[in-house]
Amino acid sequence: VTQTVFLVDDDAGILKALSRALHGEGWKVQTFESAEAFLARPNPNDDGCLVLDVTMPGFDGFELQRRLTETKQYLPIIFLTGHGDIPMSVRALKAGASDFLTKPVQVQALVASLRSAIEQGASARKLRAEVANLQRRLASLTPREREVFAALATGKLNKQIAADLGVVEQTVKFHRARIMERMGARTVAKLMHIAARLGIG
Amino acid sequence: VVCGSRPLGVRARATVRATIALWVALLGFAVRAAETAPAGVLILHSNQRPTPAQVVIDDQLRTVVTDGFKRPVQIFSEYLDDEWVSLQTYGAVEAGFLQQKYGGRNIRVAVTDSLPALRFAMQFRERVLAGVPVVFLAVARDRVDRASIPPDIVGVFEDHDPTPTLRLAQRLHPGTTRLVVIRGASELDRLWDHRLRAAVGRLGNGLEVEYLAGLPTADVLRRVGALSRGTVVFTPGYFVDGDAQVSTPRQTVERISQASTVPVYGAFDTLLGAGIVGGYMTRYEDQAREAGALVVRLLNGVTPAEIESSPVARVPMVDWRQLRRWRVDEGLLPAGTIVRSRDPTIWNQYWREISVAAVVLVLQAGLIAALLVERRSRRRTATALEGTQAQMSLAARAVGLSSWIWDTARDVARTTPLARVAPDPSPLQPIAFDRVVAAAHPADRDSLKRAVSMAQRTGEELDVEYRVVAPGGAVRWISARGRAEEREPNRLLGIALDITERKLAELRASEDRAALRQMGRVSMAGQLSAAIAHQLNQPLAAILGNAEAAQKILGHQDIDVKELRAICSDIVSENHRATEIMRRLRELYMHGDIKIEPIDLNQLILETLELLRTELLLRHVTPVTDLATVPAIEGGHVQLQQVLLNLVLNAADAMDGKKPAERTLTIRTESAATDVRLHVEDNGTGIAGEHLKNIFNPFWSTKAEGMGMGLAICQSIVASHHGTITAANNAHGGAAFCVTLPTAWRESSLT
Repeated sequence: VTQTVFLVDDDAGILKALSRALHGEGWKVQTFESAEAFLARPNPNDDGCLVLDVTMPGFDGFELQRRLTETKQYLPIIFLTGHGDIPMSVRALKAGASDFLTKPVQVQALVASLRSAIEQGASARKLRAEVANLQRRLASLTPREREVFAALATGKLNKQIAADLGVVEQTVKFHRARIMERMGARTVAKLMHIAARLGIG
Repeated sequence: VVCGSRPLGVRARATVRATIALWVALLGFAVRAAETAPAGVLILHSNQRPTPAQVVIDDQLRTVVTDGFKRPVQIFSEYLDDEWVSLQTYGAVEAGFLQQKYGGRNIRVAVTDSLPALRFAMQFRERVLAGVPVVFLAVARDRVDRASIPPDIVGVFEDHDPTPTLRLAQRLHPGTTRLVVIRGASELDRLWDHRLRAAVGRLGNGLEVEYLAGLPTADVLRRVGALSRGTVVFTPGYFVDGDAQVSTPRQTVERISQASTVPVYGAFDTLLGAGIVGGYMTRYEDQAREAGALVVRLLNGVTPAEIESSPVARVPMVDWRQLRRWRVDEGLLPAGTIVRSRDPTIWNQYWREISVAAVVLVLQAGLIAALLVERRSRRRTATALEGTQAQMSLAARAVGLSSWIWDTARDVARTTPLARVAPDPSPLQPIAFDRVVAAAHPADRDSLKRAVSMAQRTGEELDVEYRVVAPGGAVRWISARGRAEEREPNRLLGIALDITERKLAELRASEDRAALRQMGRVSMAGQLSAAIAHQLNQPLAAILGNAEAAQKILGHQDIDVKELRAICSDIVSENHRATEIMRRLRELYMHGDIKIEPIDLNQLILETLELLRTELLLRHVTPVTDLATVPAIEGGHVQLQQVLLNLVLNAADAMDGKKPAERTLTIRTESAATDVRLHVEDNGTGIAGEHLKNIFNPFWSTKAEGMGMGLAICQSIVASHHGTITAANNAHGGAAFCVTLPTAWRESSLT
């Protein structure tokens, strides 16, 4: 699957040189001379990887990263800067960047970084899809079932839960069976894992 | 002369005949007498004995008549004794007596000295002086009915109106409010009542008047002894007092004025000296002189009908001693005042002798003084000269000063070593100028010669600095100042000063300044290193990318030559970019002499902003330029860029606390007359008022990590371009710096 590389840099010379080099390596490349131009790109749903300059007039690379996260456009981002320092790279990676490269960059290094970013991007997308599925399942539980699920996630015994909710133990067992069925967990251990991924408990 | 005949009575004819015989005999005698005797003038005085006034009148009349009438004249004086014996009753007897006495005296004119005498003459003249014209004087104008005076009686009146005298008294004693009038008890004395009342009415200035009329003298004296300030006394004097004591007016006035506590004014000039201050007077001598003139005219045959009686003018007269006594300011005296009794001074008496003696003394003294002054000044000059020479010598030694005489015409052997003090003030020997030139550093010889010939041509002061090379090879700087001698322009006289130390210090200071600026630039370069590295990495990245793309193409079977060529061309242009960045960076570190060249300020701004592009991007500052067409200026490119860099970076610093989108930096240029202005304005924190005055001081900074040299360096650079730099706050916040640079200035070097 050929992925598109989105190059964003205010330096036309750089755009031209990098797109030539990436072409040579068989990548599809789209170039943008500013962050604004990228946000206004014609096909926002195209998949790929963003190679982003940090220092630009108007809003800079970090600002673009923030806005993409805000609008849930989960493109992997490789920062490429003329002069990077450690605080700058830490900031970028913490905000979810795949890599932080400095110019001049050899095309092989860039390509490696691109591949890794795309891979990371793919697995991140997969994880995001799983969590989304679990959240849908969680949404299908009744309020009482969610209550019992939260109590289970904290590691309480059926007897304790029954006492807390003022019901008999048999009723708690019935709820648990339904929760496990709805959440697609065949064992209690599996259910506990799901609860952890969803941040319940 | 009794020459008229009386009509005969109708009494006894015999008597008549006898009488006729007698008269004929008498007449014959009389005619003989008249023919033989000289012309006679009879003066009739009314008093018993001569008063001072009568003495004056008598003397003056005699003098005038004797001098005026060229022929022999006999003058007789008769005293009618009117104050003791009334002429009303006694006049006939007196007349008979006079007729007896002067019948044969060839009397041609009679003179009366007062009103009683005139009355007597008018009454009895038929008997005594038939046909003799009468001249009167000292008759008050207001006392006779002029119509009653016969045509052959003429004379001079006197004016007794006291008004001018009273005015004079008020004038001489400002603040006078009260007038005391003293008169005697006789009929003559009473005449004054009417005159004084009329005069006081005429004055009309509210003067309070008290009349002491006809009192005993003792009372009068007591009263005048107790008068208070602001009062003056007026008295014509008197003949008879309230106790019927008889005296002269002068005597009475003497006693009155002696006793008086206030100034006394009188009516007659004869009273001057008796103690009165003065008054408007008819002087008896004037009256007598005029009356005497009339007498002379009548003696010469002028008929009385041709003569008109007229008053004698009065003059203000004062007694100097009385002025002193009453402390009268002489400046108050009316013009033409006659001042009597001034103390005769030694000057008055001996002024000729004194003048001569004084002139001689002055001449002698002047001569002596001139000789003394000359000797003294000569000695002083000599002393001063010695002192000055000693001081000069000291001062010269202290500062390394030497004096010289240069001779541009002759070759003179003796020289005084330069930059060494002549130890004694012995006369200087001229130095041949050629030798001076030969001693000078080869590079300075031409300028030295030019300066000297200029000084000789214009006569202006020579002021030249040059180097000399000492035998050991050491170079010393000499400053020479002097002037061509006016009489001998080939000679220049002056001083020389060794200024080597100063020159070295100057050089050091100049080097220090340059080093400081250099340091400022280096520190700025350090500050910009991140941005410049970034900037440099841009073309490097592009070159690398392009090169790798080219390599890839070269690995293909069919080589896209056209693409390859485009790539190479891009590599070249990216390389240029990198070179350009490196050049600008190098400028910041540049060291050494400053090149003065024409500078397009706008171009300089654009280049500098290019250098700062990334730095400003990193700091989220977007510069806005507003560049007018401005003429080129002369200056150092690197130095002016340093100013601009400083100002722009300061502006960026000042805006650190603002949101990126709100940061505005404006750079403007404008042309103003012969100047070019550069404005750098931001909307940052601005400059606190108390800092405005210090902002250009060295080592003054508000930044924690600042050295405080940036703006000080800016100011020194701008000043060396003959420009000014100012700092102010914008109305809407933020700072505004303005650099004004002249478009034309001439200077060979910047320091």
